Amino acid sequence: MKRLFIIFAAIFAVATMPAYSAEAHEGQHGEASAINPKEIIFEHLGDGYGWEVPFDHHHRLPLPCIVWGTGGLHVFSSARITGGETYRDGDVSFRLGGKDSEYRGKIVEIGPDGKETRPWDFSITKNVCALFISVVLVAGLMLWLARWYRRNGFKAPRKGLGFLELLVDFIYVSVIKSTLGSKARRFAPYLLTVFFFIFFMNLLGLIVVFPGGANLTGNIAITLVLALLTFLVTNISGNRHYWKEIFWPDVPLWLKFPLPIMPMIEIFGMFTKPAALTVRLFANMMGGHMIVIVLTLLIFIFAAVSAAAGGVATAVSMVFSVFMLLIDVLVSFIQAYVFTMLSTIFIGLSNEEHHGEASHEAAAH
Amino acid sequence: MELFTPDFGLVFWMFVAFGMLFLILWKFAWPVILKSVDSRADLIDKGVEYAQEAKAQLDNARSTADDLIRQAQRQQADMLREADKMKSRLVEEARAAAQSEAQKVMDAAKVSIAQQQKQAEEQLRASVGAIALDIAQKVVQQNLAADKEQRQLVDKLLNEIETQN
Repeated sequence: MKRLFIIFAAIFAVATMPAYSAEAHEGQHGEASAINPKEIIFEHLGDGYGWEVPFDHHHRLPLPCIVWGTGGLHVFSSARITGGETYRDGDVSFRLGGKDSEYRGKIVEIGPDGKETRPWDFSITKNVCALFISVVLVAGLMLWLARWYRRNGFKAPRKGLGFLELLVDFIYVSVIKSTLGSKARRFAPYLLTVFFFIFFMNLLGLIVVFPGGANLTGNIAITLVLALLTFLVTNISGNRHYWKEIFWPDVPLWLKFPLPIMPMIEIFGMFTKPAALTVRLFANMMGGHMIVIVLTLLIFIFAAVSAAAGGVATAVSMVFSVFMLLIDVLVSFIQAYVFTMLSTIFIGLSNEEHHGEASHEAAAH
Repeated sequence: MELFTPDFGLVFWMFVAFGMLFLILWKFAWPVILKSVDSRADLIDKGVEYAQEAKAQLDNARSTADDLIRQAQRQQADMLREADKMKSRLVEEARAAAQSEAQKVMDAAKVSIAQQQKQAEEQLRASVGAIALDIAQKVVQQNLAADKEQRQLVDKLLNEIETQN
């Protein structure tokens, strides 16, 4: 019972966190009516050069900015620019793009004529930092599990490690092995890495305070890279039969000879698969985050109307936020699972042995 | 829209981060974990198979034992019945033997009784004859001279008595 209470308290705290930041945001601008939901939502969904601290919107954990612009590499703390200041490094000066700028909220280099250009930006932003936290977390957990096996052999781990093993076993046996069969061992390292990386990034994204809070898998850059990797693995490992099916599929001749209709569709399909992977994960995770933020913002929108409306909206929003966050925990797992499963299927399709080939050729002759 | 344009920096770091994670896990974690998971699954499969076999064998052994016991019981019953039969036969035989023995003894006894009777009768006849002759001799010595005719008469008289008996 006590534990349950702590869990509820934690969930409540997590759910109210965006509210506090929103409040702080509002305070920054002075009056309550100046709430700009769109701005707040996009700020929370997007990346940033510092990491927000709970209860305080003026200070952020500073992170290193690394840019390659005129005069080579420039490295400086994000604290020097996040307040809107201009940072001078020798002859070059940098600042964040203003509200009307094309590069809004991004580091821009200000040329001698005052023109803003975007340098190559390798900054350790909030998302990049969260990325490495996830890497450390996943690597740590998996090495821990590996160490257990090295030391204990066949003994099954208990508690936390037991849960990790359950996940590994679940993905490995019911997804990878059942689809790829004898080739499972070859692709399992990639697929399992993808699953755990996505799963822990998803979960970290749901924690609003420091180690989490970055909307990582709800960022298209992350999902794009993951889908691209699956695309590469699929096509590089693809066998002769896979390529034959793309360029010379088993269809009537007129569908492929003068006009390569089917090959074109197949080639198009090669790219739509990773595109679907990208968008599915990105949209699901971003959607979850957005719903929670919108629900929280409703409190402030209604509070601006009247105190009573604000009170009702608070209660309703909190209930729905908790509900949505709980669903997001489920979605975190499901999306990681779906991404892994689809990757496995794509790889499985490109590696399929074609058993009927000999008989087909025999029939043709 | 900002949300839909991937950031170059993030894409770059994502490649780096994923690459690092993949290499670390590929080298140090997955081989060990997958080997353990696989070999444990094998072990469990084998264990189950072994247990099933053992159970089948055990069932087999149990039914064999049951058969043996039943057979033994049947044999025991047969043997008992056999022994019973033999016992009654022996008793019967003994009884028959005893009877015939007794018969023999009785027959022998009868024969000897008959002989003795005859002997006794003859003795009696001889002694009765002698006594009679003695008496007659004494009587006749006084009265008669022809002794031989007297004796024949007596013998004849005695024969008559015997046949009357």
